[in-house]
Amino acid sequence: MSKSLQIPRRTFLRGLGTAIALPTLEAMQPSSAAAAENTKFPTRMAFIYIPNGVVQQNWNVTGTGKEFRFSHTLEPLSKHREDLLIFSGLAHHKARANGDGAGDHARANATFLTGCQARKTSGADIKLGVSVDQVAAKQLGEKTRLPSLELSSSGVRLSGRCDSGYSCAYQYNLAWKNETTPMPPESNPKAVFDRLFAGGSKKDVDENKQRRARYRKSILDFALEDARRLEKKLGHTDKQKLGEYLDSIREVEKSIEFASRSDVGLPAGYSAPSGKPRDFGQHVRLMGDMMALAFQTDSTRVATFLLAHDGDNRSYPHLGVRQGHHSISHHRNAKDKLAALTKINRYHCTLLAHFLDRLKAIREGEGTLLDHSMVVYGAAIGDGNRHTHHDLPVLLAGKGNGAIRTGRHIHYPTNTPMANLFLNMLDIMGTPVERLGDSTGRLKALA
Amino acid sequence: MNLVKTILLFLIAGPVYAADLAKATFERDILPVLDDYCYYCHDDGKKKGDLSLEIFKDEKDIRHNYKISEMVFKKVLAGDMPPKGRKKRPSKEEQKLVADWIRYSLDDFYANAPPDPGRVTVRRLNRSEYNNVIRDLMRVDFNPAKDFPPDDSGYGFDNIGDVLSVSTLLLEKYLSAAEKIAGQAVAVPPRGKSLPPARLTEFQKQYFKYPIPADNRRRIAEDFAQAFMRRAYRREVTGDEIKSVLVLAKQAVDDGGSFEEGVRLAVQAVLISPHFLFRWELDGAPGNPRAVRSLNEFELASRLSFFLWSSQPDDQLLKHAYKGQLRKNLGSEVGRMLKDARAQSFVENFAGQWLELRNLDVYQPDKKLFPTFTPALRNDMRQETELLFAHIMRGNRSVLELLSADYSFLNERLATHYGIGDVQGEKFRSVSLRGTPRSGILGHASILTITSDPNRTSLVKRGKYVLDNILGTPPPAPPPDAPPLSESGEITGTLREQFVKHRQDPTCASCHKVMDPIGFAFENYDAIGRYRTKDNGILIDASGKLETGEPFKNATDLRRILLNQKREYFARCITEKMLTYALGRGLEYYDKRTIDGIVARLKKNDYRFNELVQGVVTSLPFDMKRGEAGE
Repeated sequence: MSKSLQIPRRTFLRGLGTAIALPTLEAMQPSSAAAAENTKFPTRMAFIYIPNGVVQQNWNVTGTGKEFRFSHTLEPLSKHREDLLIFSGLAHHKARANGDGAGDHARANATFLTGCQARKTSGADIKLGVSVDQVAAKQLGEKTRLPSLELSSSGVRLSGRCDSGYSCAYQYNLAWKNETTPMPPESNPKAVFDRLFAGGSKKDVDENKQRRARYRKSILDFALEDARRLEKKLGHTDKQKLGEYLDSIREVEKSIEFASRSDVGLPAGYSAPSGKPRDFGQHVRLMGDMMALAFQTDSTRVATFLLAHDGDNRSYPHLGVRQGHHSISHHRNAKDKLAALTKINRYHCTLLAHFLDRLKAIREGEGTLLDHSMVVYGAAIGDGNRHTHHDLPVLLAGKGNGAIRTGRHIHYPTNTPMANLFLNMLDIMGTPVERLGDSTGRLKALA
Repeated sequence: MNLVKTILLFLIAGPVYAADLAKATFERDILPVLDDYCYYCHDDGKKKGDLSLEIFKDEKDIRHNYKISEMVFKKVLAGDMPPKGRKKRPSKEEQKLVADWIRYSLDDFYANAPPDPGRVTVRRLNRSEYNNVIRDLMRVDFNPAKDFPPDDSGYGFDNIGDVLSVSTLLLEKYLSAAEKIAGQAVAVPPRGKSLPPARLTEFQKQYFKYPIPADNRRRIAEDFAQAFMRRAYRREVTGDEIKSVLVLAKQAVDDGGSFEEGVRLAVQAVLISPHFLFRWELDGAPGNPRAVRSLNEFELASRLSFFLWSSQPDDQLLKHAYKGQLRKNLGSEVGRMLKDARAQSFVENFAGQWLELRNLDVYQPDKKLFPTFTPALRNDMRQETELLFAHIMRGNRSVLELLSADYSFLNERLATHYGIGDVQGEKFRSVSLRGTPRSGILGHASILTITSDPNRTSLVKRGKYVLDNILGTPPPAPPPDAPPLSESGEITGTLREQFVKHRQDPTCASCHKVMDPIGFAFENYDAIGRYRTKDNGILIDASGKLETGEPFKNATDLRRILLNQKREYFARCITEKMLTYALGRGLEYYDKRTIDGIVARLKKNDYRFNELVQGVVTSLPFDMKRGEAGE
């Protein structure tokens, strides 16, 4: 098991109080739901977004089927070759302007998981569409404590306008609960950890925790009552805002009830993060660890991670890349910039490799957590220089509980909607829909 | 298409042109063009992009659906629609006719529109408001919203009702924040004992007289609930509301808890009530979009306090509201509020977002190239600009000083950064800039830094910044399919040579000829705002010409132009930004009167800061609200 976590175990134990007993490996098995289904381990689904497109000539692999050869950018993933399915030809048509003018970064970010065209507005009338993860979360939500987990490494927002007249909501959120409500991501790994293990010490669990849960429920009932009385007095948009509040209250109530029925222990090998690491790579790896932890404990089966929002302009000095990522993505084919951008693209793949290492190191029955997962990694911009939205850099890791035949590169016809892939994935999750965004049908040859 | 010819003729002839657009009719001149080129996708059947242009049956519909019309106008004017690929495209003349006619019709509509205060979507407290409110209401100050998810912003600000949403994650945070806050604000006695006076919190001292007698607790709890909820909900509360909170307190006591534990639970409940977390301005007649009403004085008090303090109204504002005296005392209250320490939030939140100072936090210049750029210096930079803004605000000085100030606020580190000697220590102080190449915020390292790339200056970003935030004339966005400057070759040469290439490409030139020259004016400041005369050993030529023709030699010269010829642009820009921030919504055509009025008021009164704020708080959209249609 990887040892990326920075906090010495002892520190962590001190933090939690010594009474906690770390569960043994067997106890790490996903709890209630899996036990109920009993036949197999649940299927999990994660989406990771990389910003600003890629240098396609360095990303694209050669050869199709099982015989493909890794590209320079994807090479850090070569040890996971047998767990990968690499796609060519997928596109996100709705990330194109389609008459809406500039704003490809905002649109790409918004379209990635929704397959929908973001309505161009700086504030009023935000409209997009439900994202693939939320379709699954809505139906699977009953089975886990958290219906879904949203993560991001961008905790601080830029002030001022976001991309070309699009509200920042489009550019910083991947998950959309419905066409008007984004699911804001958490950027502090410590907060994610606390959310997953809301407990505190074991002493707390027995006595206070129950009372606390009861009080929380009373308070939520009180708030619900307040909100219901208000609702009758509202016009359309205010009612919609209050609706978000009402939904959230109900979901938190559900989650409290869930937690009172089952107690999730912290699996071995993990410790609580102390906060948000300053180093970007460390931060991303830690977020990956939190996703793995959430899956491992079956706290959720659906996760999204904005590795960085589209248009992100951080520099990567440790790679020798001194200019901002977004700035060099408009490389105009200058050799030095192409090389720098490729370094970033490749570096992101090493971060993905770390996450896959994690999933693979977790045994579940005969297989690993990775075997029971589907991890989509990619972007809704192909060539960052020209803001194209076809030939997207996209790959999938994990066998989806045996539903996906990995170790291959599949070349689909150019402009095949990426949303088609989502239909397949939702089938595999057991939460099928007939359409999502601009999907036209299911992808062939995944199995 | 005779009319087209007529129009073209008048276009050349000039002034009669508008008159002739007036003669054009929708049925005869516009409808056929829509029919020919648009209905193919945008009819009631296909409704591509969720848009059918068949909703336009006559001119009234163009005006009635002004938002759609504005969008159609923009797309037709820019040639974005019909899309490039379509074979059947309108002629240039037809395109122009439709665009001009829609523009004419809308402008006419706007100019004659009745006054309309507009409508603000209910606003949830954003993170900084939540922190401030907790500080003022609960008398604990520990930044409880630090771990809340970031607020989305719209129109450049993070207090816009439309984009402030509530998620499950946020509600979980509210819940645990409420527990933490109540835990800190309400001390609880050891089991079976009474609370030692030394452990009483500020909050408890505010509401209770200890020791609390055993016999009258219900009454004491009621009084507490009423006093506390009035502040928390920022209005009068009903008996039923008080009762429902006391039910919770009783639950804790019945559980064997102390009186204080009851108070804790009551506080927690109030802190997650929608009445606390949102700022409601309920419609008198829900479902009627035409119902316009004045805000009641509680609502007005909240608008004022959240505008100038990013926090709840204090007792004095509420007292005025109870007596119905707030409007009468508006002038003096605003004066008082601007001098209050809480107005620092206005500096941080309004100026911090308008001038994009907050971006400094995420800005990372290259460490090797700029080793002197430390977190401390970053902080100094932000502080300099905030201090100048605060100085102008508190001293009721001219807002033009933001551009012209020949003084600034520096500490030793920042002064050294600027090459100014004679300033010692960490403390900021007023320093004259006479004789230096700096004046006003456009010479501040903060702004020069956030408009740079990590390793070099950016003409485009600096030019765009001035257009966006100083002149209020944002450049059009780049075309979505903007080709790389050169498909094959690399771009080399000096910035100016690159710039010339930029201008040779017609697609780029239209906007870059507006942005880039402004950027050039600031080339004498490097990517972290230090003054320089050479870049890469080459002497810097910072001269240029604005798109409107005014030539300048350098940044000082450009500032002079901004202050003289363009001051009304700046006044309008700061007015629009402040009104957006104050209202928490995007501005609409019907706000134009308000903006015109405030700009005129500023002009008449030496551009004094208070005039701007007074203009905003006495404006129609700040003072009144419109209803909203039902579903």
